[in-house]
Amino acid sequence: MRLQSENGGVDIRADTDGDRARLAPGGSFDLAHAASVALAIERMPPSLERCRSIDVDLANLNHFDGAGAVLLAQLIDRLEANGHRTRIVEHTNPEAARLIDLYRGRLVNPHTAEARARTPLARIGAAAAKLPDTLSDAFDFAGRCAVAVPKAAAAPHSVDWRALTGLVQEIGADGVVVTGAANLLVGLIIGLLGISQLARFGAVTYVPELVVVAQFRELGPLVTAIVVAGRTGAGLASELATMKVSEEVDALRAMGFDPLRWLVVPRCVALVAVMPLLTWIGDVLAILGGFAATMAVTDMTARAYIEGTISAITAGHLLGGLVKTPFLGLAIGLIACGQGLAAQGGAAAVGARTTRAVVLAILGVIVANTLFTFVFTLLGI
Amino acid sequence: MEHVSFEVERGTTLAILGGSGSGKSTLLRYLIGLEQPQAGRIDIHGVGEPHRYHGVPSFGVLFQSGALFSSLTLEQNLALPLTTWTPIRGATARRLCQAKLELVGLGPFAGHLPGEISGGMKKRAGIARALILEPDLLFFDEPSAGLDPITAVELDQLIVTLSRDLGITVVIVTHELPSIFLVAGSCIVLDKTAKGIVARGDPKTLRDESTIPFVHNFFSRSSPGVPAGQRV
Repeated sequence: MRLQSENGGVDIRADTDGDRARLAPGGSFDLAHAASVALAIERMPPSLERCRSIDVDLANLNHFDGAGAVLLAQLIDRLEANGHRTRIVEHTNPEAARLIDLYRGRLVNPHTAEARARTPLARIGAAAAKLPDTLSDAFDFAGRCAVAVPKAAAAPHSVDWRALTGLVQEIGADGVVVTGAANLLVGLIIGLLGISQLARFGAVTYVPELVVVAQFRELGPLVTAIVVAGRTGAGLASELATMKVSEEVDALRAMGFDPLRWLVVPRCVALVAVMPLLTWIGDVLAILGGFAATMAVTDMTARAYIEGTISAITAGHLLGGLVKTPFLGLAIGLIACGQGLAAQGGAAAVGARTTRAVVLAILGVIVANTLFTFVFTLLGI
Repeated sequence: MEHVSFEVERGTTLAILGGSGSGKSTLLRYLIGLEQPQAGRIDIHGVGEPHRYHGVPSFGVLFQSGALFSSLTLEQNLALPLTTWTPIRGATARRLCQAKLELVGLGPFAGHLPGEISGGMKKRAGIARALILEPDLLFFDEPSAGLDPITAVELDQLIVTLSRDLGITVVIVTHELPSIFLVAGSCIVLDKTAKGIVARGDPKTLRDESTIPFVHNFFSRSSPGVPAGQRV
């Protein structure tokens, strides 16, 4: 009986005689026709399953290369795995027979296929299973950083203090334009929002106080921290991740340096020192934003606005905001450095860790700010 | 580089040798079309100048570092040229990639990122990627650079095996003497003072019979502590 599986210029002819069969692939079994070859193999007649002995005759092949050899080799492997006895008729095309032999016994690794076929639910499960380890790593890093601080104090030479001025410049002076602009606009928004709401009760005179309280206590530290988390957090994480994947961190360790003291401590110190300054400058600019909004859309005089602002500024409002900024800076530093030092692999790991650092740092400062506000409210500050 | 003219027979392995600054790497960049020579002509398969970056590459290249894309798994690294230049997709593409990885002994690592495997494995994966479009010509740039001697020999043997079993023509740039003698059937020796080829032929014959001082010194390099002139 003669059966044929044909597709796109390639065909596999099967002549069966009782429990014997002769397979004759014909046409171009090469890379250019690999998709057609795969389809022709898939469409092999099921009656072939009944044959115990199968001869593969390569005489009709026009073009043949490694891709055709891979697919034919895997077909033969599959037939043998299903209990068929196969034989390649070598003398008709010894070159093709040799190539097929090269690829025989190289079946797809089932573990790889399994990993690839993970469902979204399985991925969620895998991520959940990793959560305890992730938390444990985070606490471990925080603990090691806490230990590094007294060690750094005891051995100041183990910290790269020379980098501190550069870091302050980079995080503070270079970042002040962005944080300042963000705070100026936030002040403007608070002013406009206050005017639109308070004007309904004839209470526009309270706009300066609203700007001061909202900005000084909450939005100033928060907006500054979010901008710093995005800007500096990304920079620190990618810098340390690059150092990690290029084995610079290993080199530091090998030379006897503690990377936490040498790299993390100066970065965190710079952030802790700079954050209050950036926030304070942001507060001043936010007042200017509120002032500009009020002058633009209300009849309030500049003198009245300034007097209202001065009377609203109290040590409680100012310090209530500024006191938390070093902690927000510390959170950004620890998260960014932690993520950077956790990078493993190549360029992709640097990108992934940087993204993660920014997301976690922003989330971290929002959570930390919320906790501060909660505690201050409980304490009546 | 001014005096460079050579041919490579189909199915043979040619080594391009020379000291630092002799132009080996530049010549390779010309051959694979990354740079254009100011004058002269390069024919590959008699097809003329290698303007190959606007179409399917007719050859494979193993760069010194392996040059795998670090964000892709080994299988994805292989699938990239395959799915870019052919209509092959899905299960067939995966089977072809897997077969090439198996061919170089990396089947179980198909799902690994390049950052998760050793330097020697990266080079093997680079070879698998170079083979994925079924080229009949492969270029190797210092394949054993940065590898320990055992891994370097294993890689050289892999090159010999693939070249023999797949009938591939190989052009290899190297200055590693063990590699030259193991892999190359013939070689050309570049010298920067001569601005071109100063010798060509079978490496062992050149080593034993060349009277050109540069070639003699090149093949008579010795390890520290071994008297100069003692053969490797």
